[in-house]
Amino acid sequence: MKHLKVLTGLFVLVWISMGQVTTASAGAVLQDLENALMCKCDDKCGKVLLNCTCSTSDKTRAKFSKMLESGLTVDQIIKMQVDEYGETVLSAPSKFGFNLTAWLTPFVALVAGGFGVRKVLLACVGKKDDSDSAEAPGAETEISGKYSKRLKDELDGIEL
Amino acid sequence: MNDIGEFSLLLALATALYGCVAYVMSARGNRIDLYLSADKTPFIVWGCVALSSVCLMRGFLTNDFSLQYVWAYSNIELDTFYKVSSFWGGQKGSLLFWTLLLSSYMLVVHFQNRKKNLRVVPYAMAVMLVIIVFFLFLINFSTNPFERIPLPPEDGRGLNPLLQNYWMVIHPPTLYLGYVGFTVPFAFAVAALISKDLDDGWIRMTRKWTLISWFFLCMGNLFGASWAYVELGWGGYWAWDPVENAAFMPLLVATAYLHSVMIQEKKDMMKVWNMSLVLLTFAMTIFGTFITRSGLIQSVHTFDEATLGYYFLAFLFFIIVSCVGLIISRLPLLKSTNELDSFLSRESSFLFNNLVLLGIAFATFWGTIFPIISEAVRGVKITVGPPFYNQVNVPIGLALLALIGIGPVIAWRRATFSNLKKNFLRPVAAAIIAAVVLLPFIPLGSRTEIYTYITFVLCVFVLTSILTEFYKGMVSRMGLHDETAVGALATVTWRNKRRYGGYIVHIGVVLIFAGIAGSQAYGTHTEKHLKIGDSFEIRGYTITYEKLVAVEATNVKTRIIAQLAVERDGKRYWTGHPEKEFYKGQNQPVSEVDVLSTWKEDLYMILADFREDESATIKVYVNPMVSWMWTGGWIIAFGSMISMWPDRLEQRRRLERVRRQDHLFPSPAQE
Repeated sequence: MKHLKVLTGLFVLVWISMGQVTTASAGAVLQDLENALMCKCDDKCGKVLLNCTCSTSDKTRAKFSKMLESGLTVDQIIKMQVDEYGETVLSAPSKFGFNLTAWLTPFVALVAGGFGVRKVLLACVGKKDDSDSAEAPGAETEISGKYSKRLKDELDGIEL
Repeated sequence: MNDIGEFSLLLALATALYGCVAYVMSARGNRIDLYLSADKTPFIVWGCVALSSVCLMRGFLTNDFSLQYVWAYSNIELDTFYKVSSFWGGQKGSLLFWTLLLSSYMLVVHFQNRKKNLRVVPYAMAVMLVIIVFFLFLINFSTNPFERIPLPPEDGRGLNPLLQNYWMVIHPPTLYLGYVGFTVPFAFAVAALISKDLDDGWIRMTRKWTLISWFFLCMGNLFGASWAYVELGWGGYWAWDPVENAAFMPLLVATAYLHSVMIQEKKDMMKVWNMSLVLLTFAMTIFGTFITRSGLIQSVHTFDEATLGYYFLAFLFFIIVSCVGLIISRLPLLKSTNELDSFLSRESSFLFNNLVLLGIAFATFWGTIFPIISEAVRGVKITVGPPFYNQVNVPIGLALLALIGIGPVIAWRRATFSNLKKNFLRPVAAAIIAAVVLLPFIPLGSRTEIYTYITFVLCVFVLTSILTEFYKGMVSRMGLHDETAVGALATVTWRNKRRYGGYIVHIGVVLIFAGIAGSQAYGTHTEKHLKIGDSFEIRGYTITYEKLVAVEATNVKTRIIAQLAVERDGKRYWTGHPEKEFYKGQNQPVSEVDVLSTWKEDLYMILADFREDESATIKVYVNPMVSWMWTGGWIIAFGSMISMWPDRLEQRRRLERVRRQDHLFPSPAQE
């Protein structure tokens, strides 16, 4: 149980730190900026700017290129866009406040499911092992080592 | 004809209603006269719906613009090929198409099972009829495809140009065949719950249906990705659009069910779990329909007149509440006395496989509905796009990939240390070698690159694990019979279709994983504004803009085609023709990309813009390993075919098992 908790903690840490690596290395790359923002065209295409092919997206890309060349950072441009259009312009929820639940809930559910599966397995396997040992305590000892090994090998290879 | 079509729909509704009641009453009261009467309704309902569909199709083929639906989705110039697909191009027709498929499935189920288990089958038919009643109610009273225009116009508005692509003729029916198909296992599961006939009979009766539906849903998703790739012109194939998610979620849940059902078949366990998964799969198909037709969630797939959301929401609520109630009321009967033999067994690996599959399904569901939750809680409808899904689903997907490799090599019932060592030796060794060999070639500077590296290593692990299974089967066969390696391999596969067909499907899945990883991590693109004769380079290709041609394709369509020469190592390699199509009455032109696809990479060209001086903006993507995904799809199709193929040997084995059980536990009459 303790190991499982440690592993879960490590997993979450690695996952979050990987997210940080990306943010840090994103720098002033236009592609990352386009991936972080939605297209705001009149057709309400619902696409990330990077994937949008409409004329508005072309103009926006050109505008962003100029902004990056003028020395603005990705974060500054994103903030300007959020100020202008609101949070809907972001292609993914931010990682603070209520929006953090968007990121954490799937992993919390997965970990909870993992505990559930573990519990089911412990319950199922435990019973069987107990009953097996209770039913035939003497029979096991009667089988010679040679036949026991052979039976074990056969069972290992069996495909039902 | 339109009157006949409209009347047929009403008649179908009335018959389906009668059928529901008659089937249930016949089963509850053991009334054979009612059963025989009810047994005619599947055929009548199918006949009426088919007749109505023929009438609507006739409207499209004869340009009958007195029908509002035909006017909205067709015009005189539209190719006959696309007139056929216009049938399901809009909400009204798609619902009729859904009902046609469902009634056709019901008819086949009826002929397959009418002389079989008479305790379960009448309820199953009634459940299918209830679902048909729901759809027919919507078609008749809310979204009638035979609605008329008092003064018919001379020409129609035409089909959305984006839908005028051959994949759109194939993709929706394939997806619908999958969606609708899951109604059959769902109906039998509910019937088993109602009738309390809760052995694995309903699973056996619907196993093929589940496989067929899974196959179509899987293919539908892949065909949709192909359509997005060649038609939408953004260089990608999957955008985590809410409706794409809606098709992906039932596929994941159904995959979980296909695996966990094996535990019930082998050990008579996990009955509640399997019931829940069948219910969830069907609920997900209705949820997908709700998304497309509610207008609540913004999506490129949403129908123009998305007004039926609340009907579907109510239906979904009814299904979930009634099924959960049924499962709870039958819990004592669903309890299993059998237990798992060991923590380390294939059964437990299947449980983890279920966990991971449902984890991805839940993450996708959560991302899809989070904008609604956010709006309800904070009053802000935020966007959940690809960066969210990629960051959340990729690590879980990698766990799934690892489990695909672990599953085949871990023994049923109980795996011992020696068994594990023996079975895992080759796959783990191969993975370690792959990890070492790939390390110098793969940069590990970003999250995507790290994930890609892990994916490739895991792909090697899984492939080795599956190929080892084939090898072991082949060698064992060759040892017992005087057969060549190829012959032994074929015989082993053919005699264990389900098992080896499944392995082949897994190989396809591995290729899809590799294709996604490669194309996401190592793709590149550039955009250039060029005059005729200008050239540029991208990843070893020299691309020269040669000319721009305008072609009046039809009265309503004009094509502007750019010609681009592609050179490699100083030699002309290929000529690309990306184009833009302008349709009369449409604001935005449609891009028709041109793709040179090889095993290594795709050279993907888009004509982004052009000017009167014949200069043009050309966008070129180099997408590595995309063809791996499509190849993976065909391998999945091949493996599914093998798994679905009727297996007489398996039937004989099952009969033998039943006979042995009868011998061990004779019935009172035998005693």
